[in-house]
Amino acid sequence: MKLVSRLLRKNTSVPRIVGFVISNFIGLAIVLGGLQFYQDARGIWEADDSFISTDYLVLNKKVTSRQTLEGADQGFTPNEVADLRRQSWVRDVGLFTSNNFKAYMSVQGGSHSMSTYMFFESIPDKFVDVPASQWSWRPGSDDVPVIISKDYLTLYNFGFAGSAGLPRMSEGIMSGIPMTLVLTDESGMRRKELHGHVAGYSNRLNTILVPEGFLQEANRELGDGREKLPQRVIVDVSSPGDVAIAPYLEEHDWEMAGDKSASQASFLLKVVTGIILVIGGVITLLSFFILLLSVSLIMEKNRDKLHALLMLGYDLRTVGAPYIKLVAVSSVAAYVLALCGMFAMRWSYLGAITGLGAEPRGVLVSVLTGAALTALIVAFNIVAVRRKVRSAWRL
Amino acid sequence: MKGMEFSPLESITLRGMLPRVFKGENIPVSEVWNADLTFRRGESVLVEAASGGGKSSMCSYIFGARTDYEGMLLFNGRDVAGLSPDDWQRVRRVNIAYLPQELSLFPELSAWDNIQLKNSLTDHAGPAQIEEWMRRLGILFRRDYPAGRMSIGQQQRLAIIRALCQPFDFILLDEPVSHLDEENNRIAAEIITEEARRQGAGIISTSVGNHLLLDYNKRMHL
Repeated sequence: MKLVSRLLRKNTSVPRIVGFVISNFIGLAIVLGGLQFYQDARGIWEADDSFISTDYLVLNKKVTSRQTLEGADQGFTPNEVADLRRQSWVRDVGLFTSNNFKAYMSVQGGSHSMSTYMFFESIPDKFVDVPASQWSWRPGSDDVPVIISKDYLTLYNFGFAGSAGLPRMSEGIMSGIPMTLVLTDESGMRRKELHGHVAGYSNRLNTILVPEGFLQEANRELGDGREKLPQRVIVDVSSPGDVAIAPYLEEHDWEMAGDKSASQASFLLKVVTGIILVIGGVITLLSFFILLLSVSLIMEKNRDKLHALLMLGYDLRTVGAPYIKLVAVSSVAAYVLALCGMFAMRWSYLGAITGLGAEPRGVLVSVLTGAALTALIVAFNIVAVRRKVRSAWRL
Repeated sequence: MKGMEFSPLESITLRGMLPRVFKGENIPVSEVWNADLTFRRGESVLVEAASGGGKSSMCSYIFGARTDYEGMLLFNGRDVAGLSPDDWQRVRRVNIAYLPQELSLFPELSAWDNIQLKNSLTDHAGPAQIEEWMRRLGILFRRDYPAGRMSIGQQQRLAIIRALCQPFDFILLDEPVSHLDEENNRIAAEIITEEARRQGAGIISTSVGNHLLLDYNKRMHL
């Protein structure tokens, strides 16, 4: 087979193959680097709040003095919710449910104990990004998972604990402390005692969140029976940076809760990553054509030889093998170089990103994407080589 | 799917065969074109023709290199139209040896490597046997010489040896001795006859004038 390779490699243009390797390396490195940067940088906004996606916005009506004085219900009417659903930037709307009963919580921490009146809210479970096993509540169960706002912990640690002579608590310790929840109806006649545990902390939800199933059942059992309008809504938007959002909220006198910059920065990151991926993708595509044309050209120049070898009795596979090997080796070389490039880029920005508080993600997605692109390039070229060999069958 | 195999290839039949370029032309009476002709294993046949009569076309058709003909080509009575590329490659390795008129040597490879290119595929002849043939045909001293720099007569002798480096039921020789003197013609005929006889194979040789010096069973005109 060495003789066959020697014969068929003739007319191979080294500069063209090197040109392919370099351009494919550049294209893939941009794609992989961009993808990896997106993965790593996304953590800046999302690492500390994995419960609520940055694609979700929480809306409420502005509180005005007139409403306070008149005591009118400031909830969202069904008509308003329906109109919101019709907006092009809205994918889904979830309503907040509040408790219709009295709630009281006490915490026992060593020699200290603390108790307070409480409120709860819930949103449809599909808006909560916590594994179902940690965010489920079965009817009759007396253990309730709770997500609380990180601000509450901050208020306690730096506002309350210091002045009251209580110990400060980390998230981990806080989560381990058993809470007792006492729920009663308006008259205090009916009463329910449950255990609660903190399932997580959120930067983006200023509330005490419990599973929707639990709150609905408790409202049925202990509530006053009056239907209240939802005070807040959570909206899944197609892109948080959509320019139509702000004027719509303005027009209805509603406001967006929580950290808006996270949503917008995350949106910008997506746009920039998208642009980078397109540029890298185009370069990769062009490099693919360079390879395809180079191999076709070599084979065209060696067509008489291909034909003569087939006439000697060599089979199509053997005659195509040197070209397939050339394609595979140069593509894999470009991929390995691109991986090195990606790791070099990552090494240079990782310090800055961890400094901003992000947890770096794994590299698996980028590595696999690169492997898939390389496999695609090789596969297309193998098909082209086979067709070319077949065409040399008849002179 | 198992392809078509011929072990051995007993007959090659040309039934009503005519190159497409001849269609509609007023061609002279031929014993090959538009006829029912069968070559049998063990027979030696000389096909004589004027230049342009289509003898190279006939060889290419039989070898599966071209299909631009009307009519049918049958191996052992079976239409070859159903042969896959893999089937053809098997035919070329074990059933039919072919010496094309244009020789199809690789000029950049040495004489020896040109032969090895074929022989490594079939593993048919030992090095001693090949060197013996080269010695008899007077090209052993060119063993490691690039084929492209050998004289055309030497190249023709090299191509004959290469064609013999495989088992065959038929050997198809397209003007095998057009560039050989009588002495080399006689030696080539001797070697080809030895090999064909040893394998019980048929010989189909074409010529426009200077033909391979054999005792042919049949002579026909294209």
